[in-house]
Amino acid sequence: MKPDDLDRELQAHLACEADEHRERGLTAEDAQLAARRALGRETAIKEQVRALSPLAAIDDCAQDLRYGVRILRRHSGFAIVAALTLALGVGATTLVFSVVDAVLLRPLPYADADRLVMVWEDVKIPGYTNPRNTPAPGNFRDWRDQNSTFIDIAAIRDGVWNLTDAGEPIRTEGAMVSASLFRLLQVRPILGRLFTPEEDGAAPSRVVVLGYGLWTDRFGADPSIVGRTIRLSDEPYTVLGIMPRGFQFPDAEDQIWAPLGLTPQQLANHDGHFLRVLGRLKPHVTLAQAQADVETIAARLTEQYPNSNTGVGVSMLLLTEQVVGDVRRPLLIVLGVVGFLLLMVCTNIGALLLARASSRGREFAVRTALGASRIRLLRQLLAEGVVLAAMGGALGLALALIGISVLRWLAPAVVPRINDIEINRSIALFNGSVALLAGAICGVIPALRSKRDLSDTLRDDSRATAGRTSLRTRNGLVVVQVALGVVVLVGAGLLLRSFVGLLHVPVGFRSDGILTFRVALPAVRYRTEQQRSGFYQQLADRLKALPGVSSAAAISFLPLTMSGRITGVSIDGDAARAPGQVRMVDFRSVSPGYFAAMSIAMRAGRDVAWSDTPATQPVIVVSETMARKFWPDQSAVGQRVKRGRPDSDEPWVTVVGVVSDVRQFDLVSVPRPAMYFPASQDHGTGDTLRDWVVRTSSDPKAVLPSVRSAVWSIDATLPVTRVETMTEVRGAATASQRFTLLVVGVFAVLALILAAIGLYGVTAYNVSQRTRELGIRVALGARRGSLLRGVLAQGARLTIVGLLIGTVAALALTELMSTLLFEIGPRDPVTFAGVTMLLLLVAVAASWGPAHRATRVNPVVALKT
Amino acid sequence: MSTEDARERTELLQGTLDMLILRTLVLGPAHGHEIAKHIQRTSDEVLRLEHGSLYPALHRLERRGWLASKWDAHREHKRECKYYRLTAAGRKQLVAAESKWNRLQRAIARIMTAAARA
Repeated sequence: MKPDDLDRELQAHLACEADEHRERGLTAEDAQLAARRALGRETAIKEQVRALSPLAAIDDCAQDLRYGVRILRRHSGFAIVAALTLALGVGATTLVFSVVDAVLLRPLPYADADRLVMVWEDVKIPGYTNPRNTPAPGNFRDWRDQNSTFIDIAAIRDGVWNLTDAGEPIRTEGAMVSASLFRLLQVRPILGRLFTPEEDGAAPSRVVVLGYGLWTDRFGADPSIVGRTIRLSDEPYTVLGIMPRGFQFPDAEDQIWAPLGLTPQQLANHDGHFLRVLGRLKPHVTLAQAQADVETIAARLTEQYPNSNTGVGVSMLLLTEQVVGDVRRPLLIVLGVVGFLLLMVCTNIGALLLARASSRGREFAVRTALGASRIRLLRQLLAEGVVLAAMGGALGLALALIGISVLRWLAPAVVPRINDIEINRSIALFNGSVALLAGAICGVIPALRSKRDLSDTLRDDSRATAGRTSLRTRNGLVVVQVALGVVVLVGAGLLLRSFVGLLHVPVGFRSDGILTFRVALPAVRYRTEQQRSGFYQQLADRLKALPGVSSAAAISFLPLTMSGRITGVSIDGDAARAPGQVRMVDFRSVSPGYFAAMSIAMRAGRDVAWSDTPATQPVIVVSETMARKFWPDQSAVGQRVKRGRPDSDEPWVTVVGVVSDVRQFDLVSVPRPAMYFPASQDHGTGDTLRDWVVRTSSDPKAVLPSVRSAVWSIDATLPVTRVETMTEVRGAATASQRFTLLVVGVFAVLALILAAIGLYGVTAYNVSQRTRELGIRVALGARRGSLLRGVLAQGARLTIVGLLIGTVAALALTELMSTLLFEIGPRDPVTFAGVTMLLLLVAVAASWGPAHRATRVNPVVALKT
Repeated sequence: MSTEDARERTELLQGTLDMLILRTLVLGPAHGHEIAKHIQRTSDEVLRLEHGSLYPALHRLERRGWLASKWDAHREHKRECKYYRLTAAGRKQLVAAESKWNRLQRAIARIMTAAARA
């Protein structure tokens, strides 16, 4: 349709109509006018006809976009600010979503990963509950042989080897696993083969499969390594194969896999719990069916072995859940927070666009008069939003890319699957959609007010009308911003308070000034207790002799490292207890001086000593909680304890000392009864000392070189690993909380800034619109103080409304965070009060400048203009 | 002001304009102004057509293939006008629209008279 065709047609119509009017006696001029009146606005008709063409829509959009670009170019300052703000919101959202996608949404890199299930013991006995207790080999065997819901199940045991072949000795993590494990995971080696069930027998073959990382780092990716023999912890192992790059199971650092090879005795053991168990469900079997199946077996085992299996059930969860379950909630919270932040960004830019829309009122009014429909104007506003969105989206994607690198650098240990995080096509698509949506929201906000203001604008003199609806919309936006800010800040505040709480948990030792490291003795050369004890004493003496070192000692499991052992005990005079009523006690082995080095207070009696030998009376030191619970009315020192039931074969050991409680496993678990065996006596637990603590008088890391040479002066083949200060160990125990807090905290600061900008903007706008009124009031003798208060009160009113709405919203939402909180409730009044105060302060600060400007209004100038 | 303003007029029902245009063109080809005048005159000046709404409707009907158009000399004046005529599809559409309209009209009439009796 050519436009001039329609034009000709309309001209013809006008001519016919005018003829008619003339015939009725009007002058030529009046006839023309009457005809035009009858036809209506030609431009509007042309618009309507043009809109019929399917191409018209595209054409219009292109035109709107071109116009949008031109407008934004003309106001480049505004455009840059708006695009950057948008980029921040979109980038943060994309970043968080990319993490959610990699960690929560994408399946694990195993075939049919959703059929892989972790099977744990669900232990519920008085004094000890653990829904994820490591299964005993006997239970594993019976589950494996008796179930009907799994294709197969495999057992895994943590393994660690000293690799001493070439170069500096290193300690390499790995696992001893059932031969069936790789079949379950459906992984194949890139070189060589995996071990067979025969090699995984009662006397397992000395064969290993190596990880890709170890193969390339240590063996230069030499394919001929397959079939060769390497020395692991002083024993020869034949390398069978190399796993593909990126394969890691069960833990991220694992690089060596050896056959588990459980002996018949072990397979009959229902008492020692140290395995991890993975199964693959049969097709069409649900998790609940498998759970019910194995629970039946567990119930049978409880009947069969009441002493070991009372209170021992089964809990299962998908492998995915095992890997990412702990971070799901924090991640979703962060996603929610970033969503709120994005909304704040939208309202902020919306407010900016609105301010410009008010000043562009005339432009819109003129366009309306020229025949632009309301839809057309709305589309124009949307187009400007879309142009902003395109800029913001592109910048946001770049920000997200930077963010991912920062994240990798910040949080490798906290976020599982962190190396899977990437910007792929779906993330880019997400980024684009969020940007477009945000742009559309920004663009539409000014349109909300257009309807009445538009018609008013042409009529009224431009300055007198502030556009009442426009003002109301702006106030509304500020209220929304403050409310969103409250939600984000309350979330951050709750995390902060919990974190501070964690930092102040009484751990029972002084962490500053301590260097810790690990030396694991290979069983081949340190087979006997005397050999080990000799090494411990020698190393302790050499360490203590180092300059700057005041004390040094070792323990089997360092506190706060999520590792340790627990056992049932009986005390002198205990009758045989009913199954499941056993006293449960954390136990550790220590060298003399451990308590002094850690500054753990000695409450009674004495420390263990080198003079406690296998030849002397077996002794232990117990914790305050153990002393109080087991011997409430008497001194613990001199009492006797044994592992297992009163009639077990274990020896009685005598308590010689009581020390204050220590948080052993992690920061949040309240101390249980705990006991410490001297490393110099053989107490039949099989524990060796691994973790050393060295108390220094200055910087702990400064003594590291001399500590290393002290170790190597005794045995040059021993790797010194996990070198950390105790402060770092303690910090690592709060790493995930710290990380969540950091991320949410950054977003909260952004939220606060956005809220402040919003408040500043609306106050400044209000003051500028009221210049004349304020001038009159000054002229009539109003005190500047009262003007100041008036303007401030206006900002405060908006803030308070926002605070109220936000508080209600936060009260409803924070419940979702309760599992992330420590020692405070999700409705912690301190946090809510603090956030309220903070936002009020920020509100006053943000409106102070404009308010102050209001008091400086010169009445003469204000009234003249 | 034209004298028509004094008379009571009725807005066209949504969608009926198309039918009226088609009906008008049954009598033979006509240009826009003639169509407008015809609808106005035939309805005894009750239906007053917004001339502005006529042209978008004409173009829409043409797009649908119910009308065809051609520029031709005006019968009386010395000017060219765009004449619209009904196509075969347009005739079919008119029949369909008329029968629908009749059904609607009868239904409404029944309700109105029933209400009067009650």
